Amino acid sequence: MKRLALLGLVAAVFALAACGGDDGDGDGAAGGDVRGDTVALIEERGALKCGVTDTLPGFGFREPDGSFSGFDIEFCKAIAAAVLGDDAEVEFVAASSSARFELLSAGEVDLLSRVTTITAERDASRAVDFAQTTFYDGQGFVVHADSDIYDAADMGGATICVAAGTTTEQNLDDFFNEQGLSYTPLSGEGSEPQDQFVARRCDVFTSDKSGLAARIASLPNSDDYRFLPLTISKEPLAPGVRDYDSDWKDVVSWVVWGLINAEELGVTSANVDAWAADPPNTAVARLLGVPFEGGETADLGFAVDPQFIQRALRAVGNYGEIYARTVEPLGITRAGTLNALYTEGGILYAPPYR
Amino acid sequence: MATHAPQPPAGLPEPPEVPLVYQRRIRDLLIQALYVAVTALVIAYVVLQLGGREYGFGFLNQPASFDVGNQWLTNIDGTTNSRFTMYLVGVWSTIRVVVLAIALSTVFGILIGVARLSSNWLVSRLAMLFVETFRNAPLFVQIVLWYAVVLFGLPTIQNVINVGDFLFLSNRGIAIPWTVPDGGFWGGPDWMVGVWVAALFAAGGLAFWVRRRRQTAERETGKVQYPNRWALGLFAALALASFILLGMPVAIDRPIVEGTTYAEGMAIYPEFAALLLGLVVYTSAFVAEIVRGSIQALPRGQTEAASAIGLTAYQRLTTVILPQALRQIIPSVTNQYLNVSKNSSLASGVSYFDLFFVANIIQNKIGHAVEVFLLITVTYMLMSLVISLIMNYINRRVTLHSV
Repeated sequence: MKRLALLGLVAAVFALAACGGDDGDGDGAAGGDVRGDTVALIEERGALKCGVTDTLPGFGFREPDGSFSGFDIEFCKAIAAAVLGDDAEVEFVAASSSARFELLSAGEVDLLSRVTTITAERDASRAVDFAQTTFYDGQGFVVHADSDIYDAADMGGATICVAAGTTTEQNLDDFFNEQGLSYTPLSGEGSEPQDQFVARRCDVFTSDKSGLAARIASLPNSDDYRFLPLTISKEPLAPGVRDYDSDWKDVVSWVVWGLINAEELGVTSANVDAWAADPPNTAVARLLGVPFEGGETADLGFAVDPQFIQRALRAVGNYGEIYARTVEPLGITRAGTLNALYTEGGILYAPPYR
Repeated sequence: MATHAPQPPAGLPEPPEVPLVYQRRIRDLLIQALYVAVTALVIAYVVLQLGGREYGFGFLNQPASFDVGNQWLTNIDGTTNSRFTMYLVGVWSTIRVVVLAIALSTVFGILIGVARLSSNWLVSRLAMLFVETFRNAPLFVQIVLWYAVVLFGLPTIQNVINVGDFLFLSNRGIAIPWTVPDGGFWGGPDWMVGVWVAALFAAGGLAFWVRRRRQTAERETGKVQYPNRWALGLFAALALASFILLGMPVAIDRPIVEGTTYAEGMAIYPEFAALLLGLVVYTSAFVAEIVRGSIQALPRGQTEAASAIGLTAYQRLTTVILPQALRQIIPSVTNQYLNVSKNSSLASGVSYFDLFFVANIIQNKIGHAVEVFLLITVTYMLMSLVISLIMNYINRRVTLHSV
């Protein structure tokens, strides 16, 4: 028995040596466990597998009846409608913050739509490519209303609840180091940080501001908590797709831009049928993939047919409608924030659809 | 464990030749070769499937840029330290919880196992209830449940339970007094520490010698000599004397609550407590069964003979029953200890930064899943190896002792 174990060890060491031999530059960029044509894969399967969070009200949340709701969920539906013509053909997969990229690279999901921040490291070293940002966020802090913490300087020595494996976890290290303060992190998965904070296991709860607002709003006594007037990071939240599949990334990005362009052009879920039958101008005609005044339908060469944005619009409406339906009820108004259209003081600026 | 093969008596015809495949040595070799081949194939397959990746452990030397809580005796931040250093912090957290869990579950396991055999109906039934409850529920569920009990059952630090300014209890943890170097020779020459350590070692050696002498005397004269009590008493007295002679170099530091944190003393965090409690309760249920089984495996005559020569129940247990039962107990209990070290990886379920949790954070950030999981596997293997070595040593001693 002992000799067997020894042999196993030897085998493992050999494997280690084989792996370690090629030291490379530590980039590990290739990844791509499941390469190829995700659009064809989805069409063949007849369903979009969407990796989502299921504990964040307003963004990705599993309702008591088992259905999913939220901002990120709407984008899953929009993309399913764009590719398959049916927004019900989505298979939601709960992807934890620490397992999300593995689920994507292993092919368990086609798309990550779960409040994921674009970072250089993720883009370069993980098998993930980021499509167009859907929500511009920043990291904030919330404390108990009766706490003595009012500003960054008061947080010295505090215990801080944070989601494991997130950019917020790393921002904390940067921020406190910059401030010359110490702190104790308490990392958990899913809604664990929230539970720990509510139980007063920690003094401060940190996450993306929208996520914090959503979680606090969902608590029975939301008046017991207070937000600190601090934003310590940029958190552009974007859908993630696998590396090396630009056709698929194009579809995802252009559904997002399409829905933003639709808002700019005034196309809504209410008027999409009428305007598809009789488009008011060429821009709307191109966006909806219909001919303008007896002309030809413009095919821009996507991996899906030219009417994909029209189908997405019919399923979920334009960007403004999605926002109003999911994020607005949390008390996060849109006007004046980064997520307003560029014509209204925000930074949502979609490239022209032509 | 060596079995003596029966020698064929002289004069009988030689047994027929055994076919090659059935010969023990050849068969073992074949099995081992097969094992290596299958392992190599599996690894090769995995590596091929992940083809195109770049391998290497260089990423472990880069700055971690995340922090690890639940540290004890260390205060290492992730700003300047490497990912590997943070991993070692996790390893240290694992070692702490594993060592404590093994020690405590041994003590409780023996107590409960003996209690199950008690002639007191209530005691034996309570022990049975304990065993049947805790060994039949999944460990992860138990750990999460203990955490919920600690987190929501204990008061918040604003309403901390204060036991005479000596012990504090809240869902930020339990704060207990702890030792700090203070006064005495501190500030004086450093070699005084060495003197103290040497003095303690000498006291320990002396205590051992006295114990050995008294044990021998006990065996030879049959008179009760209390070797353990003498040894312990002697060591305590000498340690106390050296402590006083050296000017009381260690002070007891009482914990205080500062704002919302514990200061001074030592804080046992709820995450650590929940994990430890889960591991100890679960493992001691198994250890208790091993102890009970091993005692019951002894011939009844041992107990009866011990009673016949007038030993008390305690003497019967400690001098006759347990020493013999240990030969059965140790190999089985070794498996439980190995399980403790592996089960400790459930720590991430309660936010305890053990090696598995820290490795997961690293892997989540930078990828390199193959390398990270190889590292985790090798670490657990090393830990298991150390536990096995220690237990084999103890096993050898017990076996020799009782021949």
